[in-house]
Amino acid sequence: MKLGLGKIKDALKGGSEKNTGAEKKELNEEEIEPHRVEEVIVKTKTSEQKSEDEPENEPEKKHMIPVNRSGARRTGLIFFPAFDWAISPTHPEREERLLYTRDQIFEEGLMDLPQIAEYKPRLADFKDIARVHFCVPDIKAQATTPHLIAAGSCLVLADALMRGEVKNAFALIRPPGHHSMTVAHGNRGFCNINNEAILVEYLRKKYGIRRIAIVDTDVHHGDGTQEIFYNDPDVLFISFHQDGRTLYPGSGFMNELGGPKALGRTINIPLPPGTPDEGILYVLDALVMPILKDFRPELVLNSAGQDNHYTDPLANMRFSAQGYAKLNEKLAPDMAVLEGGYAIQSALPYVNTGIILAMAGLDYSCVKEPDFKPGMFVQAARDRQILEGVVSTQLENWNNRDSLVEAEIAKHGDFYRRKKQIFYDTDMIQELQEETVRMCPDCQGYVTIDSRAHRSINDTRIFGVSVPIYACNRCQEEAREEYKKRLNSPVYEYVYLQDKKADEYRAYNIRTKQETVY
Amino acid sequence: MLIGIDVGGTTTDAVLIQNGEVYSTAKVPTDAGNLLKSLIGALDEVSRGVPPENFKRVVFSTTVITNLIAEGKTDRVALLLIPGPGVNPASYVFPDSFYLKGAMDYRGREIQPLDEAEVRETVNRIREQGFSRAAVVSKFGQRNPSHELRVEEILREMYPGCKVELGHKVSGKLNFPRRVATSMLASATGERYQGFVAEIKKALEERKIRAPVYILKADGGTLPIEKSVEFPVETIFSGPAASTIGALALTPEGQTSVVVDIGGTTTDLALILSGKPLIASKGARLGNFLTHVRAFAVRSIAVGGDSIVRVRETGDGLRKVTIGPERAGPAYCMGGEKPTPTDALRVLGLVEVGDPERAKDAITAVASSLGKPKTEAASLIVDATAEMIAQAVREMFLEWEQEPAYRIWEVLQEKKVRPENVVGVGGGAKGLIAGVAEKLNAKPVIPDHSEVGNAIGAAVARPTLTLNLRIDTQQKVYSVAEEGEIVSLNSTDIGNFNRMRSEEAESLATKLLRERAKRFGVSKYADEAEVVSSEVFNVVEGWFTAGRLFDVSMQIPAGLIPEWDRREKA
Repeated sequence: MKLGLGKIKDALKGGSEKNTGAEKKELNEEEIEPHRVEEVIVKTKTSEQKSEDEPENEPEKKHMIPVNRSGARRTGLIFFPAFDWAISPTHPEREERLLYTRDQIFEEGLMDLPQIAEYKPRLADFKDIARVHFCVPDIKAQATTPHLIAAGSCLVLADALMRGEVKNAFALIRPPGHHSMTVAHGNRGFCNINNEAILVEYLRKKYGIRRIAIVDTDVHHGDGTQEIFYNDPDVLFISFHQDGRTLYPGSGFMNELGGPKALGRTINIPLPPGTPDEGILYVLDALVMPILKDFRPELVLNSAGQDNHYTDPLANMRFSAQGYAKLNEKLAPDMAVLEGGYAIQSALPYVNTGIILAMAGLDYSCVKEPDFKPGMFVQAARDRQILEGVVSTQLENWNNRDSLVEAEIAKHGDFYRRKKQIFYDTDMIQELQEETVRMCPDCQGYVTIDSRAHRSINDTRIFGVSVPIYACNRCQEEAREEYKKRLNSPVYEYVYLQDKKADEYRAYNIRTKQETVY
Repeated sequence: MLIGIDVGGTTTDAVLIQNGEVYSTAKVPTDAGNLLKSLIGALDEVSRGVPPENFKRVVFSTTVITNLIAEGKTDRVALLLIPGPGVNPASYVFPDSFYLKGAMDYRGREIQPLDEAEVRETVNRIREQGFSRAAVVSKFGQRNPSHELRVEEILREMYPGCKVELGHKVSGKLNFPRRVATSMLASATGERYQGFVAEIKKALEERKIRAPVYILKADGGTLPIEKSVEFPVETIFSGPAASTIGALALTPEGQTSVVVDIGGTTTDLALILSGKPLIASKGARLGNFLTHVRAFAVRSIAVGGDSIVRVRETGDGLRKVTIGPERAGPAYCMGGEKPTPTDALRVLGLVEVGDPERAKDAITAVASSLGKPKTEAASLIVDATAEMIAQAVREMFLEWEQEPAYRIWEVLQEKKVRPENVVGVGGGAKGLIAGVAEKLNAKPVIPDHSEVGNAIGAAVARPTLTLNLRIDTQQKVYSVAEEGEIVSLNSTDIGNFNRMRSEEAESLATKLLRERAKRFGVSKYADEAEVVSSEVFNVVEGWFTAGRLFDVSMQIPAGLIPEWDRREKA
């Protein structure tokens, strides 16, 4: 595997990969007695058709057929600024964040344009969240109302897109989500639940979409999204971001290429601090677009952070509103979902106006920040060289992805295992994880996660089993067995089953012996 | 006694009300070429034999502005626009636009100064091109009008004869293109409207009617006629507003109703939710232009008593009737040439207009084409017409439910209301309302005097008033969107701006609303004012709270004057 740049030693420390081969932990195989399990079925209302009313055995036949979108002319838009929600009054993620953006896009009259169709948000179903996350202790604790609305907004637009009402869509929403990983113990990087991942699983379950590409254009590495789809060869995840050695979350290096069976389907593009429009557009043209063309995804999503902006208070890049508009024009995502961006006065009003106009195919040439002068940021020659190095390394990794996968699989037996340490900056939680992937010859293999979280004096240990949507029957059975085995294990507080194939989600509280089914 | 007159497209209706009862009514055909004549004609007829000193109040709703715009009888206006960064102004479709340098941001901070030399050059150009009116509108001009004011000064100095309209005075709401359109239309219709008002006053003077005179606005509120010349475009669509207020006056308090005004060519719909007429979330559309004019959420569909009835073959060989969208001329039973829903209603005995034999002939023709008996064909026509109206009502409710939401509580709010009553007003309602109500599972209501419900609405409408206050404690200023002035917070009795709370913002808004109500001569209704929304945002700069932004929106909502006692009519 080519690792590129040779500057990645630091990054490897936190995420060392351990090959433990076929050996597997012995577990207490005591069967649980059915009468001891109290089952709670959670059904929440959705404005969409309920999937739980449909037959359970044939998930493949449940799909609604996406409509041909070639006739759609409009850009779907949900503007959900959550004017009544903040992490704390002076936190960057506060009520005011999209206030000036509201002023700008309303004053521009964008919602009146015949090219724009404005939609009303709705709440995501708990089941939509369970399809992605193991929420500790439960979904309600991690996904509060504003989170459900932000995620639900993405789903409203996904439906509009799949029904052929719009040609593309932009969820201009908060709170954000791209730092949230599969296990959600708390808030990381302002995120509790992952909006893009929830969107992807919804699209796959409801419409049978298989190949999806996510391009994360936030200045921070989209580590949550990366983690969720790390072993999934059907989801191409590309993230460009300020080099992780200089910015939260400190990951996103070129050696993070995906799990053994999905190598090359995670492409990280660390950018030197100070990279202007020119550099990002170069990476887009030279690397991102060719890979996308090659991957031929059914849908392209933009995880659209706006903190690469030259005035962002939390990062050090030099991207402009014009640059953002151009990026969206070139990338032409089917859907964009707002992530970060905290220059709420100097950047967001202009960047969002630019993105909306670009996605709607309108003239954005007059969108500019008050202090912006064309040519004010020039790409340093040294940084240009670094970028050229990144592009050639990652192109090589991409082109060799099949042989990389082959070589990597040969190294492992029936299971691939890795240990991870995850820090939740907002909530000050340290999490230690052991992830196990079944190296199945027939499918991508089920995943189990053993996670321990330390939060001040509290320790929580959970176990989760995840069955991929296109898993083989044997993996599904084995995974469900793994879940059952843990139900009497006193080392855990909560045990989760995420069977995406059956669209069935269970959470078991060991102490109360109560099982919740979503 | 109260006089209400609604100048509609086809007829001008008038009503005289005494002690909360309808005393007399009148209907005269509208002469589109001379609205004043129709208006005065209806006034004379309804007030015949009543001494003029008995009249306490006269209210008109008029289509004069709507007609001026529809017929293109407006004056040319030079648009001096200061768009700043954002949407490319080249994409705007406004006529006679002159773009100027200069820009404000969303908080009213200047980001580019005016180029005065360019302004002067532009003023010369508009004079050379023969414009005698100008509208000056800058993006975020409502947050800081200084560019608009400076351009006005230069215009007055260089071109004193030119009439000037300023965007921030016309509307303080966000939406630059709508402000441009509204300012342009206000300027383009202002003088002709003033002429119309002068003629009305003269005619009333001749008849020794000295009662206060009001004009009905699109939001169902009355405006003193002298004041209305400042806001001519507010009077558009006062017809549907009159019908809605009429329905409100004629139905029990607090109920949810859909108001259906079935005319010859079109049917107008409006909603009353728990006794409150629904205001559209955005301003009215006028021809090709979206405006900031506050109006009831009304919908007009191309189906009415005189719509053409056709028989069409569907794909699977079945034949079905379709209604409209064109007008057939008068109904066949009224001497027209084509079958209409009115003929079907006549055959079924649901209305008693026209020649029954001709109605039979018309429907027989439809029936033979359908291959069905005559009565069944008539029922099918009535049913199809009612279904079109019912469907439009359902869509209206759905649209209201699906209005965008920007706050958590708005998303959580359950908007699942369906009408209890289908209230028919206007002439054509009679035969169809029952069918529409049945489809909507609601009660059909055709109140007494429903044929002049619009005029009753005008007669008993009360004033409305809005006030949108914005306070920026960092910049230490406040502004009232409707008035367009930026005022220092030092002029208020608020002590410590940084500790200001929502209650203080709301009490400032209440005080300003009282002052504004006084200026409009509607102090009597100031106690009816309600806070529509009140928000506060912390402005955080460099991790510290640098100030607060308050937005308080208040209104005196549409309603009825106390002289009208509704319970007796219900």
